[in-house]
Amino acid sequence: MEAKVVIANKAGIHARPASMLVQTATKFQSKIKLAAKGKSIDAKSILMIMSLGLVKGTEVVISADGADADAAVKAIKDLVESKFGEE
Amino acid sequence: MPKVLRGKGVIAGIAIGKIMLVSQNIDGYLAAYQAGDVQAEIGKASDALKAVAEILQSNVKTLKEKDMPEQAAIMEAHRMMAQDPMMEESILAKVQEGVCAPRAVLAASEESATLFENMDDAYFRERAVDIRDVGRRIAKYILGVKEPELGDEAVILCGNEIEPSVIANIPTEKIQGVILGQGSTTCHAVIIAKARAIATVVGLGEKVEGIADGASVLLDGETGEIVMEPTDEIIATYQEKLQKQQELKAYYAKLAPLPAETTDGVRVQLAANIGGHTDMDSALSYGCEGVGLFRTEFVFMGREDIPTEEDQYKAYKEAIEKCAGNICVIRTMDIGGDKPLAYLDIPKEENPFLGWRAIRISLARHELFMPQLKAILRAGVFGKAAIMLPMVISVTEVKQVKELIAQAKLELAHEGKAFADNVPLGIMVETPAAAVLTPVLAKHVDFFSIGTNDLVQYTLAVDRVNHNVSYLYSHFHPAVLRLIQTTIKAARDNGIWSGMCGEMASDPYAAVILMAMGIHELSMSAPSIPRVKEKIRSISSQKAKEMLDAVLQLEDSEAVKEYLYKNL
Repeated sequence: MEAKVVIANKAGIHARPASMLVQTATKFQSKIKLAAKGKSIDAKSILMIMSLGLVKGTEVVISADGADADAAVKAIKDLVESKFGEE
Repeated sequence: MPKVLRGKGVIAGIAIGKIMLVSQNIDGYLAAYQAGDVQAEIGKASDALKAVAEILQSNVKTLKEKDMPEQAAIMEAHRMMAQDPMMEESILAKVQEGVCAPRAVLAASEESATLFENMDDAYFRERAVDIRDVGRRIAKYILGVKEPELGDEAVILCGNEIEPSVIANIPTEKIQGVILGQGSTTCHAVIIAKARAIATVVGLGEKVEGIADGASVLLDGETGEIVMEPTDEIIATYQEKLQKQQELKAYYAKLAPLPAETTDGVRVQLAANIGGHTDMDSALSYGCEGVGLFRTEFVFMGREDIPTEEDQYKAYKEAIEKCAGNICVIRTMDIGGDKPLAYLDIPKEENPFLGWRAIRISLARHELFMPQLKAILRAGVFGKAAIMLPMVISVTEVKQVKELIAQAKLELAHEGKAFADNVPLGIMVETPAAAVLTPVLAKHVDFFSIGTNDLVQYTLAVDRVNHNVSYLYSHFHPAVLRLIQTTIKAARDNGIWSGMCGEMASDPYAAVILMAMGIHELSMSAPSIPRVKEKIRSISSQKAKEMLDAVLQLEDSEAVKEYLYKNL
C-alpha cells in the first residue's frame, strides 16, 4: 500500500506536525515508512521525520506493510492534506 | 559558623528555603557511576526511556490542564523523542559495544543533535537544544540526579544563568528567591524577578557551583549574602529584618492609592514596566498608574513559532483593560542581539547591540510587524493604548512605521475588524542619535520615552554586562543627563509628553532630578514605585529645581551621586 502527498502547510513539518504524524502512525500495527529527498524513514520516529527537513512543497511517499496498512496510509495522507490544522 | 557566600544583592528581601538547581552539572555523577554488565545496562537504559516518557506525558497533561498549550506541545515533542525508535536503537547499539547506559544516552542524543545542527533550516538547527535536553534528562534519570520538581514548598532557584522562560513559567508563590552565578543586573531573568519582587542575588561566579541542590540557605537580597545551612540563631537575627520588611510592605501598601505629588502640588505619573498581562495584578497592588512599557518580547519568547495576531491581540487587550483608563504603552518587538529567537532566523552577529535588532527587524520583516501593529490597533478599542518603537535613530523610520500603520488600518477595515483610530505613536529615546535629534523627532511623534539602559550604554560606550568596564556605567554621567534634558525640553517645547522607562526611573534620587527637568511620567518595575513615590512626596518642586541647577554644574557622575545622596 502506497500513496503520494505534497506537504501543503506553510511552516512545513516542524515539531508540532511531526508529533502529530508520530501520534497517528503509532496508532497502527503496521510498519510505516515515509520516503522523500531520496531517503526512506520510520514514520514512528519523530527524530527521523524532523531530520528529513520537510518544507512546504516537498513530495512524500507514504508506504505501509502490515495488517492495517491501508488504514494507516490513508490516515497519514489525510493528516498531511489537512495541513495539520495550520495555514 | 555556617558558611557565607557573597554576591551582589539586586532585589531586596529575605528568603529562607531550599535550593532548587536549574542548570545541573552531571559530570561528577557520571564519573562516580558504577556500570553493570551489558544486560544490566540495557535494562537501565530501557527503563529510563520508559520512565522519562511517562514523566513527560504527565507534564503534558498538567500543562494542558493549566491551559498552556504552547508549552504542552513542546513537552509532547520531548516525550516522543524519549520514545523514539531511532534514539533507542542508537542507545542500545552503544551499550552493546560496552558503553555504560548514561554515556550511551548522552552520545546518542549528541549524534542526533549534531545531525539537526547541520540542517539548512534555522528552525531545525535550534531543535538540537531539545534533543540534548531530552538526552540529559534520561541520563540524569539513570544517574539518579533528581529533576527539579516543584513541590508545595516555595524554593530558591539557583544556577549560573537561568532561562527567562524557566522563571516566567513558575508561579510567583513557588519562588522565594533567585541566585545567579553571572553578574548582570539587567538580564531577563533579573527583569522578571524584579517585576515580581523576588529577592535576588547575582554575580556569585564559580561559587555558585558549590551550592548543592536541596541545600538550606538564607538569602539577603539587600546585602547579597547567602548563608549556607543557617542555624536557628542566625535565622532569629534575621527575624528583625524580616519584620521590618513586612512593616515596610504595609507602609507601601498605604502609599499605593496616593498620588506621586510634591509638597507644592507638582504631579508625576508613575507607571509600571510589564512583561505580560500576568504582571498586571501585582503592578496594580503597588499603585501603578498605567503601563509605561509593555515588553512584548515575552509574548514572542518561550514558544515555537511567531505569535499570531489573535494571540497578541488577546495579550494586549487584557493588559489594556487592566489599566482601567490609564495609558498602556506597548513597545513593538525589541528582539535581536541579546535575546535571539529560533523562529526569527537572525544570523549570528559579531556585535548584536549595533546590529540587526528591534525596529530594524520589524521594518525589514512585515510578516512579523504587521500582525503586531494590527493586534495593538484592535486591542486599542478597549482602553488607552499607545505604540512605542524601540531603537529609533531617524525620522525616516518613524515615517515608514506611519505608512505601515495606515496600511494596517486599511486591512483591518477590509477584514471588518474593529480597531482604534487614534492610537498615539511614540519612540524610545535610547540611542544618542535619537536624543540629539529629539527637537526634530518631536514634530513627528506623540511622545518620547527615554530608555536609559541602552542610552547609557551607547552614550558611554560601556557594555553593561562586562565586569571590567561596568564601573563606568552610570545614569548620572553628565553626558547622559544632558541628553535626557534635551529630550524632555524638546517634548515640552513641542507640546508632547515625555517619560522614562529605563532603570534610572526606579532610582528615587534620579526621579527628583527628572521631575525637576519636567518629565511627565516615570515607568519602572512595579515594586520600585513606592520608594520613588515616597521621595517625590517628601520634596517641593522648588527644592528639586535648585538641586537640578546644582547637579548640572557638576563635572562627573561620582560628584552628582555624592551631591544627591548628601542633600536628599
